[in-house]
Amino acid sequence: MNAQLESKRHPLAGKRMTGAEMMIQVLAQEGVDTVFGYTGGAILPTYDAIFRYNVEHEARRSEQIQLIVPANEQGAGFMAAGYARASGKVGVFIVTSGPGATNSVTPIRDSMADSVPVVLISGQVARGAIGTDAFQEAPVFNLMSSCAKHVFLVEEPEDLEITVRTAFEIAKSGRPGPVVIDVPKDVQNWEGKFKGEGIYRFRGYENRMKSLAQARLSSQECADFYELLQKCERPLICAGGGVISGDAAGQLREFARTHRIPVVTTLMGIGSVDTTEDLSLHMLGMHGMAYANYAVMDCDFLITIGARFDDRVAGKVQEFAPRARYFAHIDIDAAEIGKVKSVTWSHVGSAKEALISLMQEGKGFQKDFSKWLAHVDKLKKEHVRNYDRESNKIQPQDVLECMNEITKGEAIVCTGVGQHQMWAAQYLDFKHPRSLLTSGSMGTMGFGLPAAIGAQVAFPDRLVIDVDGDGSMRMNLGELETATTYNLPIKVLVLNNRGDGMVRQWQKLYFGKRFSGSDKSLRQKDFVKTAEADGFGFAERLSDKANLKETLKRFAGFDGPAFLEVMADPEACVYPMVGPGMGYNEMITGDFIAGRTPEQNIDRESGPSDSF
Amino acid sequence: MANGSSNNQSTRTLSILVENRFGVLSRIAGLFSARGYNIESLTVAGSADPELSRITMVVRCEALLAQQILKQVDKIPEAVEVLDLTEANCVERELILVRVRAPEGKRTTLLTEAEIFRARVVTATPENYVFEVTGDSGKVEAFLDVVRPYGIDEMVRTGKVALHRNLMTKMSGVGQPVSSTAR
Repeated sequence: MNAQLESKRHPLAGKRMTGAEMMIQVLAQEGVDTVFGYTGGAILPTYDAIFRYNVEHEARRSEQIQLIVPANEQGAGFMAAGYARASGKVGVFIVTSGPGATNSVTPIRDSMADSVPVVLISGQVARGAIGTDAFQEAPVFNLMSSCAKHVFLVEEPEDLEITVRTAFEIAKSGRPGPVVIDVPKDVQNWEGKFKGEGIYRFRGYENRMKSLAQARLSSQECADFYELLQKCERPLICAGGGVISGDAAGQLREFARTHRIPVVTTLMGIGSVDTTEDLSLHMLGMHGMAYANYAVMDCDFLITIGARFDDRVAGKVQEFAPRARYFAHIDIDAAEIGKVKSVTWSHVGSAKEALISLMQEGKGFQKDFSKWLAHVDKLKKEHVRNYDRESNKIQPQDVLECMNEITKGEAIVCTGVGQHQMWAAQYLDFKHPRSLLTSGSMGTMGFGLPAAIGAQVAFPDRLVIDVDGDGSMRMNLGELETATTYNLPIKVLVLNNRGDGMVRQWQKLYFGKRFSGSDKSLRQKDFVKTAEADGFGFAERLSDKANLKETLKRFAGFDGPAFLEVMADPEACVYPMVGPGMGYNEMITGDFIAGRTPEQNIDRESGPSDSF
Repeated sequence: MANGSSNNQSTRTLSILVENRFGVLSRIAGLFSARGYNIESLTVAGSADPELSRITMVVRCEALLAQQILKQVDKIPEAVEVLDLTEANCVERELILVRVRAPEGKRTTLLTEAEIFRARVVTATPENYVFEVTGDSGKVEAFLDVVRPYGIDEMVRTGKVALHRNLMTKMSGVGQPVSSTAR
């Protein structure tokens, strides 16, 4: 926070301007190049200030603040989140009061749950009208304080400028998250002197952030870690989203390679290691790779970095990693240590710094894990992902496998939520961090399309694909038009299985095949016509398996926004599956993936190194 | 009562020092209500530092869960110091005002019994006494047991406040300081 104090005087310091103008100045100061948002009554002064700011900077286009207007505020929120997830920068969205703000609750909660730094500026009715049930009034502070990392209601106009600056600081620092600034309309219209500097000093928070930033593993702590690593025979790293948001993927890869330790990742951690690398075991959890989950069952030391043993990962917690004698846990959030799983060794602090220290202190460490690696390799071969390759119907996994041949792990992939999301995680490769953007914790359907728009805005030249389902696509369908309006060349791939496939899958397994509310086979929606109507130059439907590769090639290579609907087999199910609240030993692998028998699972209870 | 309650839950005394800013109390209370825990008592007032307020809370929940919620509280920017005082070496007080029926003929015995608890009569009518009692929860409850047979018309309690006897950092093995970033 001190950097702000040291920076030189702002050229506009001392100038009189409106609150709205001050906010835009602070955004510019924070390096914001794009805001997403929808205007309305209580935020008009701020939208006017953006307009005037951009007119003033007509000659210097690179300094302008690009405005992307969605169809719905929820779209703006997910665009900002997609922008932030892809780039690591703070995403910004600006909405009006009342419905504008309530439509933003979902992306704010989603960003909180996945630790994504976004700042929302919401207009509020004038201070005198707050609490009177005024037109377009909503209790934003109350709503958002249970959803966001922090909320400010700006009561004193003099505080507006520093509030906006502080919001960025809080969004970025520690475990990142969304911050909401609720700005009454009269505060936006107020005129005063711009200071060009200043930030709130929360003494507790500031001290905590300082100690987090300074937290380093001591030599003794590193030695303790290596003692555990020395004692174990079957170490496994579990990498989560914290490795990606903590910018520690490079260190993690190096650490894993140095000591030859295999890595499983959570859904949020995909991309922290290159999935094509031999040490990568891909995703663990409810729909993790069978071999990843078996490795979790077999490991005797689980090293968790930036992950939090979420219920979709841990399943039945008491049975999670049952043969692990030691657990290590590195996280930036002290509240995550011991929350679900008690651990042998832990460190609160930056994953990057922790890995750097471990590597420095572990230079002399030697231990041969080749037996374990051979076992893991065998698991990878024997329990490889698979599906019904003989079916006449297009299998969604096949579509993604073919897509993977084109993207080769280099694309940014966004998803909705459901079966297609899990297949995308399983069947696509990711060579880089920040390349799978998905609503992991909240599981918000409709995330994919706006997130892809945000990611494409952040990286205009990269291939951005939204892998979506028909259900998720319907949720924010209005944003198709946003993609064409701004000529964002996103590729929208809808795997249409005529319903909510994941819900169907659960209904098949646990609700006697009563497809209540999830069957959409009688719906009349023509997605291709919709995309055409919204200006997509490429809008096709694929129903013939024979044309799959050729169509995908044209689709991915299309110069401009492209839309492809693939009529996929509605009966396809996501496997493996560890049922909700079950242990990994109850994992079902379906008809096409080889599973272990319960006996095979139990057999490995014996001594540390004998069976490998 | 809270839906998260079970038999092995004890009451816990939590002490939270916060910056005196808009909405901080509702955020902290929200962390408990979001998990289905009822706050049994809550006291908020100024502290030695004019910019900070001290929140003392009594919550019925397990120690581990209280610890987890306190860690979440500790992430709120306004939070300065977060302590679980349940097992700490501290002094606790609560103040109650209670209006007890005091008809002719019973007044003398009532006053004698009140004396045992150093309860003060703050006002009286021909039918009632209003007592003020200060003490820890045990004393307050014992007093209420004694006057209950006379008939309690109405009562208000401040809720518990607690202060540990030493600086938390100097204590060893007692209390559970989640964090202490206060200067």
